Amino acid sequence: MRENPIARERIGGLGLPGVALVRALRWIGLALVIFTYAGCSTMGVPSRSGQSLRVSEAADQGDAARRASMRLVVQGLDADGEYQFRRAQGSYERAIQVDPTNPYAYLALARHHLDGGDSTEAANLIDQAAALFEAEGIRSPRVEVHLMGLRGWEYDRAGRSSEAATLRNRAAAQAPDVWGDGYLRPEELR
Amino acid sequence: MASRKPAPGKGRVSKGSPKSGRTRKRASQGGGGWLLRGLGAAGIAIGFAFGLGLAQWVLEIDRVVVERFEGRRFSVPSRVYSAPLIVYPGTDWQRVDLSGWLLRLGYRQQPEGGQLLPGRYEWLPGRLRVHLRAFDHPLRPELARELEFRLAGGLIDKIEDARTGATVDVVVLEPEPVSAFLGEDREQRDLIKIESVPNHLIGAIFAVEDKRFEQHHGIDLQRVVGALMANLKAGRVAQGASTLTQQLVKNFFLTPERTLSRKLREAAMALIVEARYTKREILQAYLNEIYLGQRGSTQVHGVGEGARLYFGKSVSNLTVAESALIAAIIQSPNRISPHRRPELAQARRNLVIDLMFEQNRISPRHHQAALDEPIRLAAISRESGQSRYFLDALSQQLPDVYDTDVLRTEGLRIYSTLDPRIQRSAARALRSGLERIEAQLPEPADPAAPLQGCLLAMRPQTGEVLALVGGRDYGASQWNRCVHARRQVGSVFKPFVYVAALEPGSGPQVTLADFLDDAPLELETPSSPEPWRPENYDHEFRGPVSVREALERSLNVPAVRLGQRVGIARVASIAQALGVSSPLPLVPSLALGTAEVAPIEIARAYATLANGGRRPTPRMFVDVVEPGGLATENRPLQGSVPVLDPGAAYLAVSLLEGVVDRGTAVRVRAEGMRGPIAGKTGTTDDEFDLWFVGFTPELVAVVWVGFDDPAPVGLPSSRGALPIWTDFMREVVGVRVRGQFLRPSGVEPLEIDPETGALALAGCPRRSEEVFLRGTGPEQTCPAEAVAGQEEKPGFFRRTFGRLLGRRP
Repeated sequence: MRENPIARERIGGLGLPGVALVRALRWIGLALVIFTYAGCSTMGVPSRSGQSLRVSEAADQGDAARRASMRLVVQGLDADGEYQFRRAQGSYERAIQVDPTNPYAYLALARHHLDGGDSTEAANLIDQAAALFEAEGIRSPRVEVHLMGLRGWEYDRAGRSSEAATLRNRAAAQAPDVWGDGYLRPEELR
Repeated sequence: MASRKPAPGKGRVSKGSPKSGRTRKRASQGGGGWLLRGLGAAGIAIGFAFGLGLAQWVLEIDRVVVERFEGRRFSVPSRVYSAPLIVYPGTDWQRVDLSGWLLRLGYRQQPEGGQLLPGRYEWLPGRLRVHLRAFDHPLRPELARELEFRLAGGLIDKIEDARTGATVDVVVLEPEPVSAFLGEDREQRDLIKIESVPNHLIGAIFAVEDKRFEQHHGIDLQRVVGALMANLKAGRVAQGASTLTQQLVKNFFLTPERTLSRKLREAAMALIVEARYTKREILQAYLNEIYLGQRGSTQVHGVGEGARLYFGKSVSNLTVAESALIAAIIQSPNRISPHRRPELAQARRNLVIDLMFEQNRISPRHHQAALDEPIRLAAISRESGQSRYFLDALSQQLPDVYDTDVLRTEGLRIYSTLDPRIQRSAARALRSGLERIEAQLPEPADPAAPLQGCLLAMRPQTGEVLALVGGRDYGASQWNRCVHARRQVGSVFKPFVYVAALEPGSGPQVTLADFLDDAPLELETPSSPEPWRPENYDHEFRGPVSVREALERSLNVPAVRLGQRVGIARVASIAQALGVSSPLPLVPSLALGTAEVAPIEIARAYATLANGGRRPTPRMFVDVVEPGGLATENRPLQGSVPVLDPGAAYLAVSLLEGVVDRGTAVRVRAEGMRGPIAGKTGTTDDEFDLWFVGFTPELVAVVWVGFDDPAPVGLPSSRGALPIWTDFMREVVGVRVRGQFLRPSGVEPLEIDPETGALALAGCPRRSEEVFLRGTGPEQTCPAEAVAGQEEKPGFFRRTFGRLLGRRP
């Protein structure tokens, strides 16, 4: 890559120690940014963009099939939000048809089933979503909080109250805005 | 005629006195009075009996009429629909056969210029404009809308709403009708309600078949007289006089024989029907009953099905000219078939249009427009016999309440998981593959017992069966080999042995860096006094071979040895956990696949491996909907059940990728397929059964080839079943496979010395990457004096940035 001649001239005016200092500062700055991000990721500190994952944030990622699948997930969440439950289910199933490895589709479908009171089907779907998130290397704390909260919800539906409370409390602690009420609304996942 | 004079005496009597009258009366009483009285009484008795009989006959007819009208009026076969086609920017529109979809759904090319009506499309340079029809669906009904697809480089580049110009991200297209559960009469109909029938269709039928339908009471006497005169004049039966009611009665209750008694019965029934039911009810029954032609060997009844057969659209969307054509062919659908005799059909259609105009049923403007409209027929979508195997399997998945009788008569709509494009590819690949193999046979196969095969494709994450071809020709043999045929599986069973050995629950017994001994082996078996001495396919022994090489080359002896080390019971247990449900004999040869298993079980077990150790449940239908639109049975998509450690599943997938990259299935690569593909060949003793199971991250497909009565095929699987699989997959997913097999966190890649299996450190002359369950990497190092872990421990940057770069430290 060609170096900018103006920048070169300015740096050149600083002399050799100055150049070294500027370069060192650049590296330190870069390192700070990276360390901050890595630290947040590993310690479970919520990032600035929110405490939990939203599907629309990932809607433009991946290849054409994944993007189309994500659109269908968003349509499903919209339908769930409008109490069109059958249409929502149809949208999630279409999303999985287009991209059967899309973890967000299973996550949203699990939420849909829990909302409808069906914990058995939801349990498998949560596991499937978790496996796909992990295999895609995107099990960040923002994803984990949903998996944890949904599992708590599932346990609650299945009558496992104490385990449910533990998981829901943990989810609520990490993402109080979303999981504070122990429930994940479609618009909160959207 | 000569007049007779009255006899004198008689004349007197007739005019005569009462006395003479009394005399005559007495005389007659004396001679025939009793006779007359007797005759009178007999007449009354006969009349009474006749009346009684007639009443009984009428009551019987009435009972039949009422029973049929108020009970189940029609046997409507349940219809099966495919999964919808979904397109979006980036879709290869040719591979998904978008133009074929338009034809099969009865969409018609737009004539130049003019408004794009629902059900029409228009190809323009680099663009496709389609006015999608609305469609009903229990989960996601869609509204009609006009879309423009921009096409570039074989892909859909952009989709826009033609009215608003808004970008559309994804489009769900109408499911295709797959087939119907037909009864023995092989009748097909699409029941309609009279409200959905356009007035011009009713007008066209009245015009040509029964113009006084609204006035008469079942029998049109005016027309009967007219027909009688015309027939007398012609000296033959030149004109009929049947009203719509009589036609309905004839089709509904009677046989086609031409006898007086049947005619009487028809007339009586017509009167009863008219007396009991409204004109509207009678007309609706007629519109659903009338015979309108053939679709292959299936009879098409009713204007609903007729509109689909001839125009590929629902009856409510028919134009005046199309309605006139349907009315025109009622007289003799096969003789006036617009497919076979278009000129005759057009002439009669124009006659109907003229009659409609003469009877003031259409305006002059519509009259001329209808006459000018050319006949545009939809392509005949012949029912593919190959989907019948899928239907049979589907009917077994339905709950017991949906028995054969219900499926053949209740007019249910069943939304299936079948992908018509994949199904067609499967049928085509299997058929041409079997023909190719037969061409290589030393002797031609017996035509009565030809070479058979089956192909089943399943989505591993959901268990949805996307295609199922259970045999070569459903017409010749309905035996569904994908579901019912339990055949020896041969080497496709071997991966289960390796999974059992790699699985953490077993220790694990081996890692992918270990070596197995390929040397002569003797095993005592309870069934034979002689020890069993397994051999490899080529009868050679290679000494120590790596676990990976042993499976890639499908070596028998190492597999048997590994099975013995793990324990046959454990191997069987793993196979069952993965999805094999057939009984498995606990004998050493189980490791070589001597068990008899159905292809669908093998597909499911491999789907479990492809799905990271999570076992899916095969699913073939989504919804069952009653004629009224009520969904009675919903089979929601179920997640899969974890049955195997994801790490062990990944190791198995990695081994099976090796089989395709370097092993017995390398022909897949030679055929140009790239990307993540794993699979396993299987050939049983004497080449009786040829198997290939292969999968990508999104699709598992199993192929079996053999004779129903086991006999040598004369080829190994790599030249028999595998080419069928490759043809199929190349057509369905293309040569570049999407996605990747995702590595779970419990698996780590390490570099090893492939000759010794030791961990390769700096200074090791040979190295290749191998995958291990975390913490099970080799303890030995290459060079032997190096200290394991010292150099391989990730450095500060690798540990810190590994996550950011998407690599695990």
